[in-house]
Amino acid sequence: MNLEYTIFIDYAPTLLLGFWLTLKIVVCAIALGIPLGLFLALGKRSPFVFLSFLSTSFIEIFRNTPFIIQVFLFYYVLPFYGLRLSAEYVGILALAAFGSAYFAEIIRAGIDAVPKGQLESARAIGMTDWQSMKNIILPQTLSIVLPPLTNQTLTLIKESAILSTITVHELTMTGLMVQGETFRPFEVFIMVALLYWALNETIATIMRRFEKNINKNRNTGSTKNSSAILKQNENIR
Amino acid sequence: MKFDISYIIDALPRLFEGALITLQVAILGFCLSLILATTITIARTSLNSKIFNTIIAFYISFIRGTPLLVQIFLIYYVLPVFGLNLGPFSAGIIAITLNSAAFVTEILRGGLASVPNGQFEAAKSLGISGVALWRKIILPQTFIASIPPLVNEFTMVLKATALLSVITVVELMRVSQQIYSANYHPVEVLSATFVIYFLMCFVVSRSSAILENKLKVKRA
Amino acid sequence: MTLNFLELKGLHKKFGEITALNNVSLNVSKGEVIFIIGPSGCGKSTLLRAVNWLTPPDKGEVCLEGDIVGSSSSKLTIKESKLLNSFRARMGMVFQQFNVWPHLNALENVVRAQIVVAKRNKAEAEAKALKILDEVGLSDKINEWPDNLSGGQKQRLAIARSLAMDPILMLLDEPTSALDPELVGEVLSVLRRLVNNGMTMLIVTHELGFASKFGDRIVFMDGGEIIEEGIPKKILKTPKTQRLKMFLEKLNITSFKQ
Repeated sequence: MNLEYTIFIDYAPTLLLGFWLTLKIVVCAIALGIPLGLFLALGKRSPFVFLSFLSTSFIEIFRNTPFIIQVFLFYYVLPFYGLRLSAEYVGILALAAFGSAYFAEIIRAGIDAVPKGQLESARAIGMTDWQSMKNIILPQTLSIVLPPLTNQTLTLIKESAILSTITVHELTMTGLMVQGETFRPFEVFIMVALLYWALNETIATIMRRFEKNINKNRNTGSTKNSSAILKQNENIR
Repeated sequence: MKFDISYIIDALPRLFEGALITLQVAILGFCLSLILATTITIARTSLNSKIFNTIIAFYISFIRGTPLLVQIFLIYYVLPVFGLNLGPFSAGIIAITLNSAAFVTEILRGGLASVPNGQFEAAKSLGISGVALWRKIILPQTFIASIPPLVNEFTMVLKATALLSVITVVELMRVSQQIYSANYHPVEVLSATFVIYFLMCFVVSRSSAILENKLKVKRA
Repeated sequence: MTLNFLELKGLHKKFGEITALNNVSLNVSKGEVIFIIGPSGCGKSTLLRAVNWLTPPDKGEVCLEGDIVGSSSSKLTIKESKLLNSFRARMGMVFQQFNVWPHLNALENVVRAQIVVAKRNKAEAEAKALKILDEVGLSDKINEWPDNLSGGQKQRLAIARSLAMDPILMLLDEPTSALDPELVGEVLSVLRRLVNNGMTMLIVTHELGFASKFGDRIVFMDGGEIIEEGIPKKILKTPKTQRLKMFLEKLNITSFKQ
């Protein structure tokens, strides 16, 4: 087998376009998914049974089914409700919904990891539950959940490849198209894989540095324990 | 177009057949992955070869850093170029096995770390070494410690099988696509398929606790 | 009939099989400093936490200046929750584990609740915070992160945080139990100032020396009940009940029999 190096040069721009769309889609998906995940996490912990049930159901449903079928369902069901969206927007919604279920569990574990005394001291001084959350609990949750949230974002980058099945012109779809033109699957898919891998490693490295910086500032013993707790809940992908 | 439940009822027999294939693929892939991962784990710990460890580290990094779908395409489209014409089913199993094994290796690494060092020493002082050491003493403890993440990994494999539909393996997802391309009712058919996947994964993940209890060993 | 400042009526609390509070009643006058002592698990923390309804009792009522803080007979409506929060703002609570907020620096710890709960503006809150931090001896630490403070400094910060809300009642749950011995003194001096300023206080503690010097009343609890109560000199020198005698003997309190 001989490697056709020209492929790398000729088709790099095309693949990079696909890569760019992948980035845009993932950014939109987490912009929607993380707030939704926060809402679901609070909902699941809520004393209102109805809200808690709905949140838990949403989370379980999206965590216990393959992403590909969620994508197809969004693709075919949304037009029923009058929403004729382009494949890209369907993809963003599907990825956001999928991501939010995992974000919710991460955030929930983070909230639970904050020592009980923090909530008690907030309530004892007269704060409402929401004030306690906003001022005392959630800020502490942030430094706890940042690593697993980043991890989950990396997972979303990889899952976004599945959007190729509904013809979104992200990186994988672009790769398939180039492969169809050139009939050189090895070169093309290696390039595609390397692009994903490079993105993955870059974000992971940035997060590791950032994590070290945050922990330097205000690390308590409880935060160290929380990381250990979260590792158990973490989706290692 | 209204939701018509008769399409679901008609589709169910074929869907269940597809679900069976899904389960078979998942179980086969997961078992092979366990074997591969266990071998790697033992080799990593016993061989102490820097080259080997570097290769494995690279392999794990690649698998964890790239989408499974791309890995599947790599195996399916690229192997024939090297002369290996395996067919979609085999290619799919290989892709899933290689993918899952990387994650299981990391899981076992964690499980192994939780086995107290004293176990190795006690066994060696009794003259147990080599294969027996691993088979009778270390591996059982490693696996029992790793049950929750392993069960989680199996549900990931179950969900991953759906991607094989893209390379024409006739598992549940592919079957449902075949059905609704014929009857033009994707919503009904996909909904039923969705529920079947959910039930499979949900049951498996709930059984984690039960499995842990059954196999529980008291620490001495 | 004089209205009691704080009334605890018939408090009852069970945790599963264990009865933590068994029909406990207590009346507190304004400006009184009451020390609650007793062996571990006797219910003294539960009693304290019932006062601000942090651990709501199963049965009973708590009244502050004649108003009902919490009553187990009614479930809390939204209006009652708001009322409870306003009661809590008037009661300062200090915890054994300090519970200072690690993501805010010392000044912010004292300012935040003033702004969020008492609805003061930032300038007013900061001015008050600086004043109180100075009173507890932390004026050189206002920009410090809690993790860089010693245990004694954290507890003084916690006290300052509560004082900034202008409480009329302070509840202290073993404020010095988690401190290294050499740090206990600095916290006790802050508490002594509070006593001298006429603050009404309920203190759960093991520090019998402090209790005997500054307490108006000592309440001894065991098994979820108040066994004996009285002025420190009397109750520590001549305990009436056998249980209190045994408790004091265990702690070897010969030095108080002066």
